[in-house]
Amino acid sequence: MYHFNKILAVAFIVLLTGCSIGGEKKIKIFSVEQPREKLNYEMPTPLQMEEIYWHIITSENAEEVFKKLEESGIDPVLFGITDKDFQVLARNFAQIRQKLQETNSLLEEYKKYYEGTEEKKDVDVQN
Amino acid sequence: MAIAIMLITGIAGAGIYVMKLRADNATLKANQIKLESAVEEQNKVLEQQKKDFTAILESNKKLNVLINTFKKDLQDLDKRFTKKNRDIGKLALERTKSIERIVNGGGKNAARCIELASGAEHTEEELKATLKSEINPECPALANPNYVPFQ
Repeated sequence: MYHFNKILAVAFIVLLTGCSIGGEKKIKIFSVEQPREKLNYEMPTPLQMEEIYWHIITSENAEEVFKKLEESGIDPVLFGITDKDFQVLARNFAQIRQKLQETNSLLEEYKKYYEGTEEKKDVDVQN
Repeated sequence: MAIAIMLITGIAGAGIYVMKLRADNATLKANQIKLESAVEEQNKVLEQQKKDFTAILESNKKLNVLINTFKKDLQDLDKRFTKKNRDIGKLALERTKSIERIVNGGGKNAARCIELASGAEHTEEELKATLKSEINPECPALANPNYVPFQ
């Protein structure tokens, strides 16, 4: 009976502690940096400008110009600007073009700076 | 008996001390490895920062050159209208047909400049242009990258 109790006690201890013999697996927590998805917009489609024709009208050629318009089947009406306003228009056009160029250049520089860096980071991680 | 107890205690103490030293040594080794990798990472960060600063400086330089080109283009445009007290209105009265031709040519060139500014590809002709007669005078820096103006 004494031996039976001993065996029972040992069995009871094994029953309670058996699962911990191999030890519990430790949970490993690690963080992996996930790079931000690239926006990958295509660059804006270049403009295709339509051609316009400038008529120069003076007091001397006005009749001739209107006659030619009528002969060509075009309404004999013109929307005019003075020589000074023509200079202003040319300057305004130049400024619009420059703004467009500046914005596109900025966009390219941003893309080159950030996406170029991302590529370099990828290479660093691979190394 | 007392000597035996002291001996055993001494040996046990020495054992515990050695074990503590070994544990300290292991900790220090681990710390050393961590420090070395931290220094390496810091060096990488510094290197990257250096590269970034260089890229920012280059980009700034490029944009400054572009903005200076804009100023020059606008000055050139003004000059074309006012050079040697030129009055385009008077010229148009005197030589209507030729001014009409020049204005239409200029308009066509200006439209092409806008196409290029919006990202259109250069034509071979534009790229090859090196003479003043071959360039787009509305925006030579943009339209004809290989043209070097005579100073």
